[in-house]
Amino acid sequence: MQFFGGSEISPSPPAPTASGNNGHMMYVFNRNGVCLLYREWNRPLRTLNAQQDHKLMFGLLFSLKSLTAKMDPTSAAEKGNLGMPQLPGQGCSFHSFRTNTYKLSFMESPSGIKIILVTHPRTGDLRESLKYIYNLYVEYVVKNPLYTPGSPIRCELFNTTLDQYVRGIA
Amino acid sequence: MVREVSESCVDSLLTEMVSCYCNRFYVNKPELAARRIEAIGYQVGHQLSERYTMERPRFTDHLEAIKFICKDFWSELFKKQIDNLKTNHRGTFVLQDNKFRWLARMSVDPSTDKVSSVEDNTSPTAENKAAQSMSMHLYFPCGIIRGALSNLGIPCAVSADISNLPACSFVVRIKAG
Repeated sequence: MQFFGGSEISPSPPAPTASGNNGHMMYVFNRNGVCLLYREWNRPLRTLNAQQDHKLMFGLLFSLKSLTAKMDPTSAAEKGNLGMPQLPGQGCSFHSFRTNTYKLSFMESPSGIKIILVTHPRTGDLRESLKYIYNLYVEYVVKNPLYTPGSPIRCELFNTTLDQYVRGIA
Repeated sequence: MVREVSESCVDSLLTEMVSCYCNRFYVNKPELAARRIEAIGYQVGHQLSERYTMERPRFTDHLEAIKFICKDFWSELFKKQIDNLKTNHRGTFVLQDNKFRWLARMSVDPSTDKVSSVEDNTSPTAENKAAQSMSMHLYFPCGIIRGALSNLGIPCAVSADISNLPACSFVVRIKAG
């Protein structure tokens, strides 16, 4: 299978294990809290309006990252997280939380791009999938000559490839 | 010995070049910006064709030169050949690339499709803007083809046609006489 014109640097996606639409919704934020993308595939319950929803999500992640770093009992991370974006996996980073009705998976890139994916509660570890989605973002959004960084993402190619990929995630 | 450069680097540089000429140097003069970008492409094509024809004998006729552009030249630039070559045998050639590399990641705002179905004065300009910004990125490859051919002794005019993406056609009209 050829991805992105044959570049070997992009990681191959984790093999899809289930068919059907398992993703509920997805957010992409940039470093400044601007919601670059909000995509919804299956969301019967909506408690807030879009603006409040985005603000709440961004605020939640900010607080959660801070909390998880401050409550870290191990000395694996050298210092407390001072709010600087770190490499995924470096320092103390939270990557998901699960309730009885959904699972929220999170990834932050070193450039401050945050990707949030909400799926059904029995989903496995989506860290590799989120990295692949970040790769899609780089290929189809960042490298799109018609896209201005910092503005909401309106790229057809990105949307279709993303929908296709999320459909295949367990 | 082959020296390589990162493709992301070239892509970003081209994007920035077009953006610079369109949005900063010649803000309200798209024709001038287009001409400057095409002139840059002309120089690049000129030099590249010098390199890539180093070990070859002269071309016997125009068709041989065009075939060189379609096969070897395009492979050096884009790692693939031109997919389809058409000619009217009277000096016009159409080179079609079914998945032009520099357009592969370009995509427009999907909501402009919905806007055009509503009665809205601004919808035609939104679509035109998108088409115009896409076509700005094609002046550079057109210039490259023109520069390469003129270095081989074939003065011509090159234009691009993106009526069915991601395929892109380059129309080469050889100047008579």
